Amino acid sequence: MSFQGKKINPSRFHVSQIKFYIILLPVAVFMVLPIIYVISTAFKPAEELFKFPPSFFVVNPSWDNFKSLFELMAGSSVPATRYLFNSILVTVLTMLISIFLSVSAGYVLSKKRFKGRKLLFEINTLALMFVPIAVSIPRFIIIINLGLVDRFVANILPIIAMPVGLFLIKQFIDQVPDALLEAARMDGANELQILFKIIIPSVKPAIATIAIMSFQSAWGNVEASVYYLNNESLKTFAYFITTFASATSSSITQGVTAASALIMFLPNLVIFIVMQSKVMDTMAHSGIK
Amino acid sequence: MREKDKKTIKTGEAAQPAAVAVKGAKKKSGAPDGKFKRFLKSETFSGYLFVLPWLIGFCVFVAYPVIQTLVFSFSDVSIRPGAIETTFKGFENFAYALVTDSKFTQALGEYAMEIILYVPVITVVSLILAMLLSSKLKGTGFFRTIFFLPVIITSGPVIQIFIEQGVASFPGVDELINFTELAETMPQFLINALQFLTSEFIMILWFSGIQILVFMTGLQKMDKSMYEAAKIDGATKWEMFWKITLPALNPTIVLNVIFTVVMQSVFSLNPIIIKIGNDMNGTGEGAGYGYASAMAWIYFIVMLVILGLAVLIFKKHEKKVKRL
Repeated sequence: MSFQGKKINPSRFHVSQIKFYIILLPVAVFMVLPIIYVISTAFKPAEELFKFPPSFFVVNPSWDNFKSLFELMAGSSVPATRYLFNSILVTVLTMLISIFLSVSAGYVLSKKRFKGRKLLFEINTLALMFVPIAVSIPRFIIIINLGLVDRFVANILPIIAMPVGLFLIKQFIDQVPDALLEAARMDGANELQILFKIIIPSVKPAIATIAIMSFQSAWGNVEASVYYLNNESLKTFAYFITTFASATSSSITQGVTAASALIMFLPNLVIFIVMQSKVMDTMAHSGIK
Repeated sequence: MREKDKKTIKTGEAAQPAAVAVKGAKKKSGAPDGKFKRFLKSETFSGYLFVLPWLIGFCVFVAYPVIQTLVFSFSDVSIRPGAIETTFKGFENFAYALVTDSKFTQALGEYAMEIILYVPVITVVSLILAMLLSSKLKGTGFFRTIFFLPVIITSGPVIQIFIEQGVASFPGVDELINFTELAETMPQFLINALQFLTSEFIMILWFSGIQILVFMTGLQKMDKSMYEAAKIDGATKWEMFWKITLPALNPTIVLNVIFTVVMQSVFSLNPIIIKIGNDMNGTGEGAGYGYASAMAWIYFIVMLVILGLAVLIFKKHEKKVKRL
């Protein structure tokens, strides 16, 4: 059957494959389009940004938008590097903790038989569906009651329990055969070893996916900086960059917004490129069936 | 700063003692005396230990706030610096949302139609793409990467810019299909559906990244010998798809349907979510946090009903397949 690929790239190219490319190529173009657009817009000079109808590609690329963005950054009372440092710390910690929590919870919810495990997972799925914006005020109350206002952890704690992460990872762990775990147990592996040596390697695509998602939610998160933190030196880069959009005249704003969109977007792209090889790699030769 | 860092790490390490405890329990397995020791060895205990750190985070920052909104939805909530006052209103908020606020009910209807169109299309498109990407084809590795790429767009803030600029819609499709001419031969709701699909086609592709991934894993786990047996029996590829691939993928399809409904429903640019967000910060009638909470709950229930129906349809099919 044709869709049983084990190797990603077969060495041969055959004319009969052309019909597949006819479908895949145009779709692929649409997939890359937005990224090209972000990059192209960031380099548009003012007159091109305001052109109507807007052009897709930049005609005379210039660094003007970046120059004005960096000028604004230099004028800030807290150095931009401080925000950047906060963001990097928040993002790395959030990714590591939320992946670990999701995998360990997903493992037991999928493979252990205990009371309430089905219920827990169903509650998780329900929580996934609740309008995120509606819980912002109760969350704020909790942050106050826990005494986390103006504390650095307020950036991290609210986003580490990621319902969507658990949801995805549990479904992937379901497909890891019990026999594999049983064999490991026979060989004397303890629960942690099973988790790290068997579960994590076999669900790498899911882990990479939730790594990308948690990276994004942490990197782009401004909620904490806006609501929970008053101290400027604890706020994140995402927040710092949004402050410029409203601060200046509209002709500069458009350009600055475009440039900052690219700056905010690039780390996403980098993390994606790093992670996607993991996703695709395991897809190609996972030993399990 | 240092003190705060410690706190963060604490949450991460909460599972560590759990693991140690499990290890200890395993070693002592020679003498199973006493109820407590047996409990320590049981799957219930290790299960809860592993799930505990996640559970704490979930209860505090997800479950509790959701329940709190339910309380708020029955009240009038006014927020002053340092204090939140609630006065009980009964079902007034709900009644206002469903009877008086036509914008809300209208948005709810649009949402329902959007979901009914989006879910089957995304499922079918991502299944086809997943099958293509799982085939032995030169360059599939490259295509897989590109098809997964929109994942970083749809969940980021960039998507808002695209929709505003109109990048997400097909330029020129509206001119290709003459909708007014079609209206003479087709019922209006079909026209609306068609118009919607053509204008949202790119969005649909962008939202299929994770679904494609899930389908590809599903396809990979398939039993190959089935196909060989079917081939010997003279089955065509078309027959094999309907009789082997599709039934085997049914759980994966259900998973993808749930995922699509959920992701579309909580998508930050969904009109209902925007309305809830706007009304949350307003004052007066038809605004305020209590009212926003009530809308969120109505929306949640509608979503549950749609999801329940979708799952029911597929689960029924699954039973039929099992009987065969």
